[in-house]
Amino acid sequence: MGDEFEPKILGFTCNWCTYAGADLAGTSRIQYPPNIRIIRVMCSGRMDPLFVIKALTNGADGVFMGGCHPGDCHYTKGNYYARRRIVALREVLKAFGLDERVRLRWISASEGPQFAEEVTKMVEDMKKLGPNPLKEETV
Amino acid sequence: MVKCVEVGDAGLNDLFKGLLSSGAVDGLVVPQKSGKSVIYTLIADPEKIKNPVPFAPSFGFNAANSLRKWLIEDKILGVVFKPCEARAVNELIKLEQINPDAILLISVDCEGTFKNEDYTANADKIGDKLTGNIEGVELRAACTMCETKLGEIGDLGIAYMGLGGTTVIALNDKGEAALSKVEGLAIEDKEIDRSSLKAEIKSAGSAGRETLKKELERVNEPLKLLEVLNDCIVCKNCRDMCPVCYCKECFFEQPLGNPHGGDLLHIADTRGDVRIPPYSLFYHLTRAYHVCVTCVSCGACEDACPKGLPLTLIYPVVAKNVQDVFEYVPGTDLEEPLPLTTYEEDELEPR
Repeated sequence: MGDEFEPKILGFTCNWCTYAGADLAGTSRIQYPPNIRIIRVMCSGRMDPLFVIKALTNGADGVFMGGCHPGDCHYTKGNYYARRRIVALREVLKAFGLDERVRLRWISASEGPQFAEEVTKMVEDMKKLGPNPLKEETV
Repeated sequence: MVKCVEVGDAGLNDLFKGLLSSGAVDGLVVPQKSGKSVIYTLIADPEKIKNPVPFAPSFGFNAANSLRKWLIEDKILGVVFKPCEARAVNELIKLEQINPDAILLISVDCEGTFKNEDYTANADKIGDKLTGNIEGVELRAACTMCETKLGEIGDLGIAYMGLGGTTVIALNDKGEAALSKVEGLAIEDKEIDRSSLKAEIKSAGSAGRETLKKELERVNEPLKLLEVLNDCIVCKNCRDMCPVCYCKECFFEQPLGNPHGGDLLHIADTRGDVRIPPYSLFYHLTRAYHVCVTCVSCGACEDACPKGLPLTLIYPVVAKNVQDVFEYVPGTDLEEPLPLTTYEEDELEPR
């Protein structure tokens, strides 16, 4: 370990699928990197892109968002709206070189291993990408 | 076939007067010449129409901005707008900020505009109508990427590009009804085909857009963007003058988005330091997202910036990229829902 860069990743997970998936990963004792800090929201449709932008400008190295698979939303269509919003947000952030730090994944309540895998992958990718340059800046 | 009247530039004065005196509209917003400048006027008395210059290539602000919350019910306001302003009106109608029944939207052909101060300084050289390049005065950046220069938006269009003389075209039934109320107009059915001109405008616009996209690369890293925003004083004038940034209660006016006193100290405590005024980067990124699907690329943000930041890059150019994803051209189709208010079950995968 030592001086290796450990990214700080903020996670927004929906109450019904991804949070339960993360919970399952925990109760199944699946190992995944501890770099993610999870905030539970009721639906991926609740994730205001403002949250993501605020996290990034405050120096988060990545923002991970999880929701129910399309068609499985507890509120029928929250994840469809979330998908459009995050696609638009990533397109905006692309112009400023921040889009790779944001991702949205569909993980159901039964997909504990997939959650662990996605988080592991994101941590690896963020390590390759390096720290968020805004972290050390006065913003 | 469309219903239209060839009035010529000289006939526009009578047309505007006729719209008012016939009761087709209760008020008319029209740009007029005042000294060497162009000002927007809201006219109720037909006799007050003195010197209308609907084609004058001067842009100070997007006049649709003044129509936000135009929700009255029993009066009709006629507006003579450039295409970008007319598109903003349509977006505001979709956002339920304007009552469409209270508006007669008239759009005019526009070959591009200059900043209003540049226009005033060079008014003699430029004239009331743009024809070709004007030496020594540059078009506004937003106009160089414009793909909708024709007055084909709304109820009536006032067109001259590619036509023999200035012609008023009824674009829908509402426009036709308004036109037929005006006395002394010889309305005729005519075939007007400007598709080749349209294609020309489109390719010129996309060429201009490519140039601006290259320029956008100078902020393609977070630190470069931060450096550009170093001069920002967070006056939020870009928001105030933006026709489609319409929220009544902006996040950046609330305590969370506009921290003061102890809140500010708290932020400095958690981060170690904070700029004051705070949140310039947060503000601009959030606003870029908020307007990304409705931005009509008018460039009013850049004109409004007291510090001369290249906001055309940060807003219109970025927004166009997003609009490409959803194949959406804001303000051209009233029936088409705003992309973020709708969805399709099978799309945009993988994200």
